[in-house]
Amino acid sequence: MMSLSCLRRARKAAAFGVTLALTLAPAQPAFAYLKFGVRAGGRQVTLRWTQTPVRYVVSDASVASGVTVSDFQSAVGRAFATWQAVPTASISYQFGGLTGALPGQEDGSSTLGFRNRPEMDRVLASTSFVVDMATGALLESDIFFNSAFAWSVTPAGETGRFDLESIALHEIGHLSGLGHSALGETELREGGGRRVIASGTVMFPIAFTAGSIAGRTLQPDDIAGISDVYPESDFNATAGSLSGHVTSDAQPVFGAHVIAFNPNTLSMVAAFTLNTQGEFSIGGLSPGPYVVRVEPLDDADVESFFSAPETVDFDFKVAFVDRVIVVPRGGGSGSVDVKVVRK
Amino acid sequence: MGRHRSNAEPAEHATPWSFLRTLRALRALFVVWLVVGPVRAGATVLLPADLGELSADARAIVRGRVVAVEARWIDDRRGIDTIVTLDVESYLKGALGSTLQFRVPGGELGRFRSIVVGAPEFAVDDRVLVFLGARGPSVPYVLGLSQGVFRIARAADNSGWVVTPPAVFPSAAAARIVRGDPSRRPMALADFEQRVRTLAGGGR
Repeated sequence: MMSLSCLRRARKAAAFGVTLALTLAPAQPAFAYLKFGVRAGGRQVTLRWTQTPVRYVVSDASVASGVTVSDFQSAVGRAFATWQAVPTASISYQFGGLTGALPGQEDGSSTLGFRNRPEMDRVLASTSFVVDMATGALLESDIFFNSAFAWSVTPAGETGRFDLESIALHEIGHLSGLGHSALGETELREGGGRRVIASGTVMFPIAFTAGSIAGRTLQPDDIAGISDVYPESDFNATAGSLSGHVTSDAQPVFGAHVIAFNPNTLSMVAAFTLNTQGEFSIGGLSPGPYVVRVEPLDDADVESFFSAPETVDFDFKVAFVDRVIVVPRGGGSGSVDVKVVRK
Repeated sequence: MGRHRSNAEPAEHATPWSFLRTLRALRALFVVWLVVGPVRAGATVLLPADLGELSADARAIVRGRVVAVEARWIDDRRGIDTIVTLDVESYLKGALGSTLQFRVPGGELGRFRSIVVGAPEFAVDDRVLVFLGARGPSVPYVLGLSQGVFRIARAADNSGWVVTPPAVFPSAAAARIVRGDPSRRPMALADFEQRVRTLAGGGR
């Protein structure tokens, strides 16, 4: 039951026109093709900012060892600028000053800053949202960086310290409405432990080893995602899409990871089958030929992608579409049916 | 464009050999690009863990059924987390009582819902196996956000209980984790627990 103070807080929230209710449809995938799906007003909508520039503030209430507030502001500013520089996307951002508030405190401002959260074990940073339940409009999104870890803001990175700009780039992708991408793979280390060995996206949810600065560069999957959510005026007329569905023994497969690989550009963009029909759709593709691969998300971390992991089907082998699919300029591929076989 | 057919096995009878050779080359390029290509972007939210690390780091490893999920205000009522109450079936490591509570970030309070990307969600009657950390007298927390949660479900053939998602066990030698590997399947609960107990040093 809500306390009186909670109710007062609810009224306060309503007073500034904000419905402080976060919603991602339960039993639905939290992340619909690189984008957050929001159940709002009785319908599924894409979580996105409706007004730009997106205004953000930086917290000076907490710092991490070796990183001043000015360092922090500069690093996240560079990460915002990287997203803003995507030529096919229209999103922009604006620094709104410093605040004494902490990220994660729902106050109507999108706040970035450090917090000391040692209990957030193995979590370098995290993004949270405030959404208008009636419209699905994104009203606030905060990013906290865990000061329990060692951070770097130097141009070349520092051994043993995580690159703030790289992590910020990932989190700002979330702030902008992008979910995680599964374009990456890991390996077991000799003698124990696990590490990322490759990734085709900034939005891969698992960190590279401390010291790497490779995550400062957006990849085609990230660019397709942000452009699909915030298309420049001619983007939909120039980009194409690839869609279809995945089945096994004539039954739809839920949660299959579908990758479109362009052999001309060596780019990869991916999505998941996200409904009970096993349908997928990959938008924001450069026109051209694509090799299509379907794989199960059976390498752990499924809850980084789906809020209802028990619904995800892991029991099938990798499959390729047995022809090259041509994605046309400004149009769709036609339905691509992929049949997979059980392990 | 019409509909396209695919299969896990090459469909040689349906496609010219020359095209198949080309397609196979493209597939190979696809895989090579992902593994050794120049693009190594990343560095994101989580530090990855294998089950050996989780087992060693855990203050308690417990199997049980969720009997309550209750969100609460934190941070001077400016944030939300959730207390999950577990009716304990068995401890694989440590012992924190027959009923156990742990917390996860985010949650729903009345008209408010706070979502933390990647945080696990629980519902009453969920049957789970969780790896928990604890600092001092505070409420325990799940290790590695969602990495420390394994869901227990009926096997597809109803032959018993299995653990999902497929777990990542430590390896004596470096080894890629390959999606679609036939050996990567939900594991029988008893087998999973036996391996975890071994990794945890025989804790009960």
